[in-house]
Order: sequence, then C-alpha cells, then structure tokens
Amino acid sequence: MTPPSDATGGTRIPQVAFRSAPSLAGPVFEVGSLSVFYGDHEAVRDVNMTIGHRQITAMIGPSGCGKSTVLRCFNRMNDLVPSARVAGKVHYHNEDLYGRDVDPIEVRRRIGMVFQKPNPFPKSIYDNIAYGPRVGGFQGNLDDLVEETLTHAALWDEVKDKLKTSALALSGGQQQRLCIARTIAVKPEVILMDEPCSALDPIATAKIEDLMTHLAREFTIIVVTHNMQQAARVSDRTAFFTADVDDAGVRHGRLVEYDETERIFSNPSDQRTEDYISGRFG
Amino acid sequence: MSSKVIDRDATIHQDAPRLKGKGTPLRERVFHLSLWVSLAVAVVFLASLLAYVLSEGWSRLDPRLWMNFPDYIDPTQGGAQSAIMGTVWVIGFTAAYCLPTGILTAIYLEEYADPDKWWNRAIEINIQNLAAVPSIVYGILGLGIISRGLGFGQTVLTASLTLSLLVLPVVIISSREAIRAVPQSIRQASLALGATQWQTIWRQVLPAAVPGMATGSILALSRAIGEAAPLLLLGGLTFITFNPSGVQSQFTVLPIQIFNWISQSRAEFVSLASAAIVILLAILLAMNSVAIWLRNRYSRTW
Repeated sequence: MTPPSDATGGTRIPQVAFRSAPSLAGPVFEVGSLSVFYGDHEAVRDVNMTIGHRQITAMIGPSGCGKSTVLRCFNRMNDLVPSARVAGKVHYHNEDLYGRDVDPIEVRRRIGMVFQKPNPFPKSIYDNIAYGPRVGGFQGNLDDLVEETLTHAALWDEVKDKLKTSALALSGGQQQRLCIARTIAVKPEVILMDEPCSALDPIATAKIEDLMTHLAREFTIIVVTHNMQQAARVSDRTAFFTADVDDAGVRHGRLVEYDETERIFSNPSDQRTEDYISGRFG
Repeated sequence: MSSKVIDRDATIHQDAPRLKGKGTPLRERVFHLSLWVSLAVAVVFLASLLAYVLSEGWSRLDPRLWMNFPDYIDPTQGGAQSAIMGTVWVIGFTAAYCLPTGILTAIYLEEYADPDKWWNRAIEINIQNLAAVPSIVYGILGLGIISRGLGFGQTVLTASLTLSLLVLPVVIISSREAIRAVPQSIRQASLALGATQWQTIWRQVLPAAVPGMATGSILALSRAIGEAAPLLLLGGLTFITFNPSGVQSQFTVLPIQIFNWISQSRAEFVSLASAAIVILLAILLAMNSVAIWLRNRYSRTW
C-alpha cells in the first residue's frame, strides 16, 4: 500500500501552476454511460464526465437530480445501500473503480468524503483527526500528524489548546472544518464534499470556501452544492444535473451540461441550465 | 421616550384579543389527575410491600443472615449464606454466557444481516417470541436438554445456562436498540475514512452503544436473579449447607431459599424469609442503580 502523494512533501509546485494548468497528471476520474439503480429504479441515467487533477468540480441542480448519488459513486459509498447498483464506467486513473479485485477500503482511503451535516466522532478533537491514520495502521508520530493536519485545515490556532476536549463542543462550522481536516489526515488524493455548507451560517460557509480554494492546491475536490453562488465562487468546472420525468412518471437524474464554471454561468449552451442559474426553476 | 411607549401600548392593548376563559380546560386537568393516581397506585403498593417485608424481617437483619448456613433445627441460628453465594455464582455465570452471546447476536442482526432475507426476518420474529415465553417453559427446557440430555445435572452450570436462555432475548433486543441508536452518520464517517466494517463497529458503534447495552443487560440480569420457577424445576436444592465451589457444584439461590422458608410453619422461618427478601431486594436495587448511573453518566446527545 503506497500512500497517496505526500501532501506536504518536497515536490510542491507553486500554487499558480495548479490553478492555471490543472491537468498536469491527466484526468483523475473518467465517467462514461454511468447509471445508478436503487432496486429497479434508475435514479441516474447516462452520465459522462471527466474530472481534472487538482480542480474543484461543482455539481449543481435541483433536489432529487442525482448529484449526490453520482458523488457517492466516486468512493463507493453506494455500496452501503444494499439495493444500489452501478452500471457504466467509473475509472480512477484508468483503473475501473468497480472492478472485481478493487478493495473499497483502499478506494475510500484515496478518495475521502465530507458529509452534509458535520458528523465528528463523539471523541476528542485529537482522536477525530487520528482516527483515519489509526485505522489505516499509521506508524509515524501521530502528534506531529495531528498538528500538521490541523494547521493545513486552518484550524490549529482555534483548537490547539483543547485537543483533548470533545469535538462536539465545537461550533457547527468548526466541526465541519474538523471533518475536512479528519479527511485530509488520511492524505487522500480526492475529497468529495456533499453539500458541506448547507447546515452552516454565511460566515462559517465563507471559511469553508476559503479552505476549499486553499486545499485545491493539493487535492482534487468534487463538491455537490445547492448554492449556485458557491459553485461560481469556488469551482473550476461545473456540472449541471436535472431530473427528467419519463412517461411512467418516474424521475431519472441526468447530466445536462458540464463545462468551465465561467461558461456555465455566463453563456450556458443548454436552455435548462440557463433557466436554472437564472432562478427560473429549481 | 418611555411615556410614548406606554401610550402606544395602551392603544394596542385596547384592541388586543381577550385571553380570559376558564383557565386550563377541565379535561386537561382530569387527565393530569388520572396520571397522578396511576403513579400513586404503583408507588403505594411498592412502598407497602417494602414496609411489610422490612417490619417482618427486621429482627433477623443481622450478620447471622449472611454468616450462617440454613439450619432447620434452630431457625434462629440459620442464615442464607449458601443461597447468597449461590445467587452470586449463578448470576455470574449467566452474565458470562449470555452477555457475549447476546451482544454478538445483536451486532449480527443490526450490522450484517440483510433484513430482506427471509431467514433473518425469521430469526428476528423468533427472538421477539422467545422474550414472551413463560420462564417455567425454560425450566422444562433446561431440565430436559441441559440437565438430563447433556448430563450436567443439578449444578450451577445448568442453572446458569437455563437462566441465560431465559434472558438472552431481552439482552439481544436491548443491545439492538442501543446499536440502532448510534447514528448512521457516524458509521458513514468512519467508513469514508477507510475503516473496515469491523473497525467501524469496534471503534465507533460499540463504544457509543455500551451504555445502552449495559443498562439493558443489567435489567435483564435483575430479572434472572429473581427467578425461582425454572430453577425449582431444575431441582435447585433447598437445603444446602455449603457454598458452591465451581460450576459443577450443587447450589441453591435466594428465591428458592425464600420460597422454601415461607412454606415452613414456624414463625421464625417467616421472619428469616422476610430478611432474605430484603437482601434480594437490596441486590436488585443496587444493580438497577448501577444501570441508571451508567445511563446518566454516558448518555449522549448527537
């Protein structure tokens, strides 16, 4: 098990390089004809997209359009839903994520996830950060790793004097940043975020957005959001999903348009995208 | 400035809707009262029972009770040491057998079993039905299978296994409740960090569920302590003048000893039985207090 590239290691390239030339290492994910079924219901139909290296990709769209479902395909969290089934291609660095011999545990160590509602473990701040490395058999100095991780997540100064107190005593925004920190402690390559700010106030949201922009220097981030301004502010590329209703009245999520964020918000090519971002529906 | 406010208030109040009525509605008060009456009935019964037992047994509540063994010739010198120690042994082994079994079963049913599969549903319905089976039936089972079938005889082991079967459904059900109360978001967080399912259960779910499981288990064991019926069937002996020395030992327990003394005609035995009841109640209350303490100490809000 080789750990993903050391986030703080010596091979750090100046930050400008990433924002302007993001595809240094080719695409991280290639998705082709992806469908997700819950039982017999095809919740998402025929999604095709490519996720670039160290980019922030936003997925927007009305409720029930399948964007969270697609997000959960990237780290095989859909495996936890017994009736869920994934069809089509989800390749991670040219490797089939749903291949027979792929270990979902290893997948989730490389592709971390932050959830909608802050969900710190009912343990100390320190133990929250140390949990991922511990279950992964981390051998180095945990104290150093915790400090480094919290510094990285811009949380160190706020919590350094109370590392041993319960994480549940933190504010909602701090809890969510702790959850992000906990995710990067495992040193993944990709961070998936499922509406990370929907439970937070505007100030806490702004802090998370700053953190995302900062983290995009080292991580590939895919974020599902209901907040279009957020997508416009933080992301490099934006995918717009919507739900089609077929003749039988069943809803299927679809990817309508996927492009540079600037283009999606200034000059979308699909009428539905334009209607959505201009607030005419959704 | 303040006068202005008062003026404005006065005009507002003139137009305000009237709130006066008959106060809290009568039906509401009657309901409230009936709740109090129900509570009072339960508490009064319990209190009078305690008072009666205490007054009957007061004269015998002294070290003779736990220092001496039963004595049928001179009940004033008799005690219940063998029954107290028998209870401790039997409950100890009951706990040692039924807690691991029950908790592991609960983990399987909550974390691994697919509820859509018919066999898992069958197991679930079975467990719920078993919890409702009368204890005497477990006594017959213990007698037929454990005591005679397996040849364990009238021993501590037989009694412990039988009582384990009796309380196992309760332990399983309360452990499942405790495991289910751990939010799904905690499991997802753990799995998303690359933990295996077993690591998630061992490091997150079980620690969070322990208070609930402990509370349920202690209450289940309290029930086992008070059981006499199944052990009578197993031939729990009523006149034992030695403490158990191991699982193969013969034994008696407090409920059986009490049952036996009460059926004696001499008044000395009745006060002896009352004193033993006080001891049994004291053990039960102590166990329940631990359960309450655990619940309060570790209760969590998510």
